[in-house]
Amino acid sequence: MNPALEIRDLSFGYRRGGEDLFGGLSHTFAAGAVTALTGASGRGKSTLLYMLGLMLTPTAGAVILDGKDVGAASDADRSRIRARQLGFVFQDAALDPTRTVLDSVLEPSLYAGIPRAVAECHARARLEDLGLSARADHRPGEISGGQAQRVAICRALVNDPVVVLADEPTGNLDRGNAEIVLSALRGATGQGRTVVIATHDPFVIAHTDHEVAL
Amino acid sequence: MTVRQLLREAIATVRTSRVPSALVALLTAVMCASTLATVGRTVSAEREIQARMDAAGSKVVVLRDAQNKALLPPAVVDAIAHLSVTDRAIGLTVPVDVVNGAIGPGSTPAPSWRVIGDISAVATLEHGRWPRPGEALVSEPARSQLGLTDGYGWVTSGTEDVAVVGTFTARAPFDTLACGVVIAATPSDVAASMHVVARTAADAQRVESLSISLINAPFAQDLAIESPVSLAQLQQQVGRDLGSVSRSLVLGVLGGGALLTAIVVLADVLVRRKDLGRRRALGATRATIVALVMVRTAIPALLGAGVGAAVGLYLANALNAQPGATFAASIVVLSTLAAISSSALPAVYAAHRDPVEVLRTP
Ligand SMILES: Nc1ncnc2c1ncn2[C@@H]1O[C@H](COP(=O)(O)OP(=O)(O)OP(=O)(O)O)[C@@H](O)[C@H]1O
Ligand SMILES: [Mg+2]
Repeated sequence: MNPALEIRDLSFGYRRGGEDLFGGLSHTFAAGAVTALTGASGRGKSTLLYMLGLMLTPTAGAVILDGKDVGAASDADRSRIRARQLGFVFQDAALDPTRTVLDSVLEPSLYAGIPRAVAECHARARLEDLGLSARADHRPGEISGGQAQRVAICRALVNDPVVVLADEPTGNLDRGNAEIVLSALRGATGQGRTVVIATHDPFVIAHTDHEVAL
Repeated sequence: MTVRQLLREAIATVRTSRVPSALVALLTAVMCASTLATVGRTVSAEREIQARMDAAGSKVVVLRDAQNKALLPPAVVDAIAHLSVTDRAIGLTVPVDVVNGAIGPGSTPAPSWRVIGDISAVATLEHGRWPRPGEALVSEPARSQLGLTDGYGWVTSGTEDVAVVGTFTARAPFDTLACGVVIAATPSDVAASMHVVARTAADAQRVESLSISLINAPFAQDLAIESPVSLAQLQQQVGRDLGSVSRSLVLGVLGGGALLTAIVVLADVLVRRKDLGRRRALGATRATIVALVMVRTAIPALLGAGVGAAVGLYLANALNAQPGATFAASIVVLSTLAAISSSALPAVYAAHRDPVEVLRTP
């Protein structure tokens, strides 16, 4: 399977002339597999993930998605790629507390320009996959933390992205819920999807296919 | 994002952040209502002053034959009366005291004027008929003063007897005639003064200059002119002042309202930074964020403008001033636009916040 995501000679510093977090890191993320980004706290796991997610621009080097260097594309182009080709799962589910689970799952499809009827169909299918159909009309305040994180995974997958990025997705969960979330992310690798998880949890690392230690 | 999706999202935001929505609506309503009411008030004040100044005789030009040089023969009076800028014009002789001819000398006198030109320009007929040349009408005060029991009879100046054929009331601004007798002039009468009512206060100057050329006095001092021009200028000045007062009022209210709206919208986007940051992370472009914030402001602004217009028109009505439909509509459009455009800056600010920083901070 062709690799969808690759970094080449990547460098990044939050401040001009400040500490370079990656020192020219290169890596090809395997398609159809889960890769763990590991390292001590403060090493830059989240930073790398945001860079893969095109929310931070590398100081030097390239972020290559589907053969194109998109790391330094225009803000509008990077936003469109985020909407159509990338899926995100954050440590806290980051759901809109005022909207229903269904509306939350649909959200990325708004920005991708997908008609609501089509998107709703996809969204319900994803909720079904993760056993959340009965929760579609609930609000985030009416579901458990583990369920909220599963909703976030549904949201990450609603536009059928090529890459899913997760930052400490099990950080707030107990072992049982962590397992469910992890297996949901593993399930997302079907159809050659690339999944990258930033984590320091040995349990998560043990269940991934590859590891990039920072 | 389609327009429908954008509206759906904006409406959802309007409903969930109710306080800023209500504040935007309130501010727009106040902008709309206060400009309508205050400007409506100014418009009516302007109208009142206009009316008062018109009544005060700012349209009347008086020309006097100062040296008794027979400068105002009937032909000249007639020519001035038919100028396009003239509303009404008559010539008057010097007043002469008359007494009731039936009672004779020694009885109470009343002043009499010979009117050259159309008597109906200065008088309204009450009883009897219009006088032929050499006949007279008396006013009600003069009738009782002279002792003409039913308004008919004859009066005499001692040298000339005149038949009285009816009674009249004086038309504004010829109130001085109200206490006397007006006699329709004969062709040989020459006016001592000429009284011209211009069509509008602004025409008074033109009446004056045209009359001067028609009279063609040999020396400037032969003709004494009482002109209302300065009064007309004053009136225009007052109109201009009122106009600029209402303009600055409208600008002040709209500017102040827009500033307050901008602050409310800024506070709203600061409070909703998590929401907007999440949207950016999930793929919303900066343009989408700007559109969301502005549409989210436009919806309550439109509602507010509608309510404000209704209240403003009601208040204007209560103050006895109709600002006019076009004016009311333009104020509604202006205050809505003011509210929407004031949300542009906070919207752009929100769109340029770093989503990473927002996502990192709980
Ligand atoms: N906006 C910023 N400006 C300057 N330095 C920053 C900024 N954000 C993060 N850093 C620094 O960059 C480094 C990497 O941070 P990052 O959050 O990527 O680490 P991490 O590996 O995810 O840590 P953790 O395991 O604790 O989540 C840290 O030293 C952090 O202090
Ligand atoms: Mg981190």
